[in-house]
Amino acid sequence: MSRPFPYTYVSCPCADTPVPDPARKRKSREGSQKQTPEQGEQTAGGDSKDSTNNEHKEDSDEEEEEEEEEEQTFDPRSPRSNFSMYPPEQLLYCEDCHQIKCPRCITEEIVSWFCPSCLFETPSSMVKSDGNRCGRNCFNCPICTAPLAVSTIESVTGGGSQQGPWVLSCSYCMWTTLDIGIKFDKPTNIRSQLQKMTDTTAAPPFDTRTRQGSRAFADLKSPLSNLASVDEQAGNREAPSDQHITKQDQTATPSNAEAQFAALKSFYRNQISETSTSPSDPLGSDFGFSSPGALNRLMSLYTSSTRLGSLYGGNKKAKSKPPVMREALTPSEGLRISATPNPDPVISRLRSAEGGWDGVASIAQRAEQSPDVRFTDDLLPLPVLLRTKRAKRCKACKHILLYPAAVTTAPGSPSSTSAASAPSPNPDLNALTPLRPIHVLLTLKNHMFDPVRVTLATPSVTPGRVASKVTVLSPQFDIGANSDVWDEALQGASAPLTTDPKLRAAEKVPEAGKVWDKGRNWTTVVLEVVPGTLPSSDADAGGGDGEVRSGAGSAPAQPDEDVLEIPVFVHMEWDAEGQLEQQDVGKASKPDDLVARELAYWMVLGVGRIQPSF
Amino acid sequence: MAPKAAKGEYIETDTGNKISRRSQIHGTQHIILGGKTVIQAEAVIRGDLYRLSSTAASDPTNPPAQPNTPSVAINVGRYSYISKSAVLRPPSRLHRGVHSYYPLKIGDHVFVGEAAVIEAASLGNHVQVGAGAVVGSMAIIKDFAVVLEGAAVPPGMVVPSWCVVGGEAC
Repeated sequence: MSRPFPYTYVSCPCADTPVPDPARKRKSREGSQKQTPEQGEQTAGGDSKDSTNNEHKEDSDEEEEEEEEEEQTFDPRSPRSNFSMYPPEQLLYCEDCHQIKCPRCITEEIVSWFCPSCLFETPSSMVKSDGNRCGRNCFNCPICTAPLAVSTIESVTGGGSQQGPWVLSCSYCMWTTLDIGIKFDKPTNIRSQLQKMTDTTAAPPFDTRTRQGSRAFADLKSPLSNLASVDEQAGNREAPSDQHITKQDQTATPSNAEAQFAALKSFYRNQISETSTSPSDPLGSDFGFSSPGALNRLMSLYTSSTRLGSLYGGNKKAKSKPPVMREALTPSEGLRISATPNPDPVISRLRSAEGGWDGVASIAQRAEQSPDVRFTDDLLPLPVLLRTKRAKRCKACKHILLYPAAVTTAPGSPSSTSAASAPSPNPDLNALTPLRPIHVLLTLKNHMFDPVRVTLATPSVTPGRVASKVTVLSPQFDIGANSDVWDEALQGASAPLTTDPKLRAAEKVPEAGKVWDKGRNWTTVVLEVVPGTLPSSDADAGGGDGEVRSGAGSAPAQPDEDVLEIPVFVHMEWDAEGQLEQQDVGKASKPDDLVARELAYWMVLGVGRIQPSF
Repeated sequence: MAPKAAKGEYIETDTGNKISRRSQIHGTQHIILGGKTVIQAEAVIRGDLYRLSSTAASDPTNPPAQPNTPSVAINVGRYSYISKSAVLRPPSRLHRGVHSYYPLKIGDHVFVGEAAVIEAASLGNHVQVGAGAVVGSMAIIKDFAVVLEGAAVPPGMVVPSWCVVGGEAC
């Protein structure tokens, strides 16, 4: 395992009991029917898909295994357990389901967008219309991605109010917008100023808000493209493109990438709606292009031999045949032909001394820019990408587990108890001597405001070939409530505690049935561990290095087989205020009735690595 | 309290700050330590780079900011830890043609790693700066952010809380 010793992992129960998620159930049913992969895609994120895949695989053999698995001890080395183990800090606790929730049993939803540079939140309507970039003065350097600062060119010490042209400058690589010949008149609203400058067309309707302009532009364009596709359906295919281009070039040409994208999007939307709502295809109107009906129709296009005839023949057959979806033909529909028909100036610039390698934008730089940027002179400052704040919901009951507050606040800590282990006599954890008992201190901490009764259980011998003996010296104990920190401080004042824990550890002797130490909301118990011998160590006595070679009789040692991992079953009970039940009943119950709650989970303590004995 | 050694490595102040005798602290009257803060050996703290009030006064548009009180160059909160040979320098900026220094504010529970150079405008609470990291001038690092070892935070960058920064910009 990648973590340093000692570590703890908690096994999420979701690996054994699938989460009752309606979306997932439907998906699995569909998956068994072998349908198109596009369906049921509303669950966001790749991890949810992974989990369903895992469930699929497990579904088949789950029925047989289920009964025996109920009573089996958790084996940290079994391949399946790898999917369920998480470090405690990644886990959450659902107060509705009373279950541990791992990242696989959680759905995330975006609460808000904010700019990481100015920390202002952007409403989702703005994100939808303007894209997920900061609309203020936050820009990143196109050369080095460092933040740009607004500064004046006139660095002369002036008294008085100073109006000069303003530039964006990077104080990391000393790039300024002067390098690409851009100055700003005002120090505010730079993004719209920049957008105005980079819109090369002198089209009149794009005034203050370019995005609005492009949307108006899309509206203006859609009737035209309708017309175009109708034309084409009528069989007018001989010389359509030139006319269209010449006609529509003056009216509107997409200037920047966004407008082009909008034009293409509206064009394809029109094409889809026109080709799929034809009377010959009743499924098309319901399912669109992702439906199997559409697939059949597309396949039949290729098999029918009269297709070309229908296209060129005339209007008689065009009614019966489904209309063919075409590609964009004119610039107003989003067609874009390479801006440099003659590559010679570009090549000569690449070869020239002043351009050359330094003048060419790198792939990383071009990835953020519009597609035909080739030289560093064409790079534009990048508005900062927004980030999201996300809430986490339980997949099963949609209860919000974690809700982000302001930018500066902490994410809530998991409310279940977390544990950490520490050995007492401080042996070298990367080289534990076999058959020499060590004492491991296991501290359990309670983050809840109710005291907790805990029962620990371990198998007396760890699973796997390296059999280490484990004994919990005090398997049942209580942990206090997570009360005010001051309580401990005040109690500590009355009862003088030795300050040095090492000193105390040296005096103390672990005793069966007694807890090692106890605090306000934590309890430490002792585990006595006798590390087992590695299987091949007696066969291969000469193996001085840590790697255990395969002996004559035994199977080869697996990687990490020498890691001593102890499965611990933690069962805890506490009395919680039954707030949720009260609401359900309708406030009929007494206000101070307590509901007994319990939580049980498997946990894995990674204690150390066992030395090969010689 | 431990008995104070006559010639210990650290000087302890009234508020519990522990300052190594081998640290280099300039302009102590412009430095505020919140208490329980540790400054290790060979750390350099440039309190002498404070903002001259005369430059602010010479500017007619800005009223002079507190002409009598000594301006604070570096403010460190409580329980912070400045490791060996780290450098704390107030940030500077060319503003209206005048090169002037601005205060450097460091919050509580901040860890500054070995040989890190901090020129930020502010480090929030619980910020960790790894060894050898460079935090550029006027950067703002919010609470609970982590700057990894050897990272270069470019000047003027804002790091939101709970973020991890690593690597270099170029």
